[in-house]
Amino acid sequence: MKRSILTAIGLAVVVPLAVASCSSSPATTSSTTESATAAGPVTLSLAGWSLKTTPEFQALADAFHAANPSITVVPKEYDATNYDTQMTADLAAGSAPDIYVQKNLKNFATYQIGGQLLDVSDVATEVGGDVSGLSGYKVDGKTYAIPYRQDSWYLYYNKDLFDAAKVAVPDGSWTWDDYAAAAEDLTSGLKTAGNEALGTYQHTWQSTVQGLALAQTPKADLLSGDFSYLKPFYERALALQAAGAQADYGTVTTNNLTYQAQFGTQKSAMMIMGSWYVATLIAQQVKGDANTFNWGIAPVPQIDSSTAGTDNTPVTFGDPTGLGINPAIDKSKIAAAKEFLAFVASEDGAKTLAGIGITPAHVSDAVTTAYFSFKGVPTDDLSKFTFGTHDTKAENPVSKYTAGLQNVLGDLHSSVMSGSASIDDAIKTAEDRAKNEVLNQ
Amino acid sequence: MAATIVTSPPAQLHLSSPTGPRTRLRGWRKILLYVVLIVAAAGVLLPFYWMVMSSLKTNNDVFTIPIKWVPDVFVWQNYVDIWTKADMATWLKNTMVLSVAVTALQVFTGSFAAYGFSKVRFPGRDVLFLTYVGTIAVPWQSYMIPQFILMSKVHLSNTLWSIIALQAFGAFGVFLMKQFYESVPEELSEAARIDGLSEYGIYRRIILPLSVPALASLTLLTFTNTWNDYLGPLIYLRSPELWTIQLGLRSFISQYNAEYALIMTGSVLSVLPIALIFILGQKYFVEGIATSGLKG
Amino acid sequence: MATTLATRRPGGRLRLRNTLTGWSFILPNFVGFALLTLVPVVALFYLAFTSWNVFGAAKWIGTANFTRMVGDASFWTAFRNTVYYTVFHIPLTLVISLGLAILLNQKLRGVAFFRTAAFFPYITSIVAIAVVWNMLFSPQYGPINQFLHAIGVSNPPGWTTSGTWAMPAVIIVGTWREMGYYMLLFLAGLQSIPGELYEAARVDGANAWQRFRNITIPSLRPTTFFITVMLTIGSFKVFDLILVMTNGGPGQSTLVLSQYIYQKGFVENQFGYASSISIVLFAICIAITIFQFLMNKRRDA
Repeated sequence: MKRSILTAIGLAVVVPLAVASCSSSPATTSSTTESATAAGPVTLSLAGWSLKTTPEFQALADAFHAANPSITVVPKEYDATNYDTQMTADLAAGSAPDIYVQKNLKNFATYQIGGQLLDVSDVATEVGGDVSGLSGYKVDGKTYAIPYRQDSWYLYYNKDLFDAAKVAVPDGSWTWDDYAAAAEDLTSGLKTAGNEALGTYQHTWQSTVQGLALAQTPKADLLSGDFSYLKPFYERALALQAAGAQADYGTVTTNNLTYQAQFGTQKSAMMIMGSWYVATLIAQQVKGDANTFNWGIAPVPQIDSSTAGTDNTPVTFGDPTGLGINPAIDKSKIAAAKEFLAFVASEDGAKTLAGIGITPAHVSDAVTTAYFSFKGVPTDDLSKFTFGTHDTKAENPVSKYTAGLQNVLGDLHSSVMSGSASIDDAIKTAEDRAKNEVLNQ
Repeated sequence: MAATIVTSPPAQLHLSSPTGPRTRLRGWRKILLYVVLIVAAAGVLLPFYWMVMSSLKTNNDVFTIPIKWVPDVFVWQNYVDIWTKADMATWLKNTMVLSVAVTALQVFTGSFAAYGFSKVRFPGRDVLFLTYVGTIAVPWQSYMIPQFILMSKVHLSNTLWSIIALQAFGAFGVFLMKQFYESVPEELSEAARIDGLSEYGIYRRIILPLSVPALASLTLLTFTNTWNDYLGPLIYLRSPELWTIQLGLRSFISQYNAEYALIMTGSVLSVLPIALIFILGQKYFVEGIATSGLKG
Repeated sequence: MATTLATRRPGGRLRLRNTLTGWSFILPNFVGFALLTLVPVVALFYLAFTSWNVFGAAKWIGTANFTRMVGDASFWTAFRNTVYYTVFHIPLTLVISLGLAILLNQKLRGVAFFRTAAFFPYITSIVAIAVVWNMLFSPQYGPINQFLHAIGVSNPPGWTTSGTWAMPAVIIVGTWREMGYYMLLFLAGLQSIPGELYEAARVDGANAWQRFRNITIPSLRPTTFFITVMLTIGSFKVFDLILVMTNGGPGQSTLVLSQYIYQKGFVENQFGYASSISIVLFAICIAITIFQFLMNKRRDA
């Protein structure tokens, strides 16, 4: 019996708690607290996730340090899936890093309303008009974060499967009707060719339907609480599912199908997905997780021909990813942090990102060139057009209601796609809930 | 606190079952029982079987329509990769340290406190006990943030101490042990009191030896819970060198790359230590403890 | 609580000594418990009456959170689903785990293996469990529905992809996962029943059923009480299983209170409101627990 030892351990745990000071000084996260003067060396901590597989944070930190040797940026690891939960806890407890990422616009509102972001309007003025997504971080005329990447949604297509099914590849002029017809033609054409692959694949996320419906429907407004604009988009998705041209929602959820495998191992000829998938697909093809085949990107199908075609600007959606400064940052470091923010939105920062296959927020010819020099990116004209020309609408309007409304719409999505409720009933339920549970708070 | 007179119950090896010890099941009934048990065990172990098989697949073969129960190609490489790609050794070490520390503290302080609740009478005891049990009824995610702020104030967050402090003093162990002590006949401790044994002596010499199965259960369950806990480490641990096995494995499911085959490999590896401990702990369950000469 | 001290009226000094002794046992655990759990839980009771977005100060708003809850349709949906889960999960798990414990408390060759097998669902990672069960339940390709087809069910349920059948599916998995856990506790309880009791009953000519009724069940009462309380609380608090299996869907058909608390708190940052829902959940659990506690005491008396 080593009870005395155990008691000692128990006391060792308890005593520090009991006598600990109740000072509310925020815990510094960096191990070296340097008293940095404006000229002296500064170390900034930066939130990131999955650092092993997501090189963007370290790449930006290194490129910035090369340009500004006196400032070092150290990424701090967060969990990718639960980033916002962890960040909320850290900000509340005062242990968050100096600079942190706005993973999506839905939570940006939460941080901004909660007073967890410094005003960086001066940086916004400095980086100027070549940066897309900047307006998403504007509240009452002030900017609270600076975007460094701006993902948009594209139509990915497998040229080999199109050829096998004898269907013409997208030419950039597709409306939704063209897309639906192609999906059905592909499915039957592939079947004739003895191939089990389906025409298209729709992942389980609500964005796959709702993001496009919101972006493309004139006058659609998430905050209005009127969700009737979703109807035609859901009717189409259900029709494609019923026709067997895309995998059934129930099968996709219960079998945990991953979109990477569905498109990457040629189980479907088309897929609408965000621009981040370009780098993923290339990496998986190199590694052997995905098959090697010819593919390209095209603009997402449009609601009518007025925005379709390579002589127009196709409408798509996507949230920017931005960086904001934690107000609890040491005052002496603010200037350095702002410099870093300005860098990530600059052309140099954008080239760094484009060089690793990421779609930067900063748009210019030099950046486009850098992006298409990344090995494996499809370089046909339509892919270049898709990357360079689009009107990307935000998926999440900045408002305190957004998170609540997206929850309500998430429930709508699962009940409609699984066939648990009719489209009209589900929309009515969602509108009632939006009115009574979210918009009246 | 040495006791002068000790009534030590003779510990006999003795098996008790509702049908009484050593009843012979007839041949065909025994066979039927085994068939039922084997079918049930197969059903119960099916997910584990799938886990093992998936750990031997390529990443894109894990989720397919319909299910593949046997991989086309056995990818033994996963079991090599997991040590290089992931920091498995560190995760295992951290999880082991946490589980052992939490279990030791929980079993010791829990059983000690349980004795106070069950065998010593004092005013306010039941209310205090209900307070204990009451905290089990509060969902952790609702007071997670106040608790996290408290821990951060005393600079415990992002250390292994935070998880130990978090889990070692729960009400679960106290409640479990108290219920077992209730079933130990009062006459035993009364007799010991008359013999002049102090309460501490009674706890050590009479109650503890009698509650081996309960202590074994508590040890197993606490160990398992700490080993498999995900939300606690997720909130408290940031530095990769502090990650536990559950945290590390989930980090594989990063946003754009689902390394499911490796996750399953890690899951298989993470279950093994617990299974081993469980099998070793078995022997405390087959030693029925005979209470000394008490006729019920 | 059988005790002989009750018959002696303890004098003041004895009572003081008992109090000190009792506290000396409880203290090591209580210090840690009070500091780390009790303080935040008490804070929670305060936060339930505030509007708090986690950043900055909590604003006192009195009972506004509770009046909001009364009119919150989603809260009632979550409440109904939680009760639905609880009402089916508790008896099922109790019966199955007790049956397993009795079955596996015998002298059988390989009993250790079967016990370990029964406990395996509890130690297998929850991610893997969710994945596998979802596949088994897959409406078109899952083995369960293929089996149902084979025995002539023409239109088998959609399980986790159907608003009607998702909750039964979750209950099945919940029971399957926890049966080994409670079996273990029942086993420990069975092990501590003195063998002499059965011997004596056998001498008196009691058959197996009578022995079970008159010895096993009463002797197991403290264990059963513990298990019932833990099961009740556990069912009301069910969270991780739902999260990984259905995430509350389809629609809100498997939304439960714990998940609603998480949603309101961590997704919508309404920590004040989330706290007030926790308080309600707590009140329900504690009321049932006190009821069980009193019943238990009455039986013992």
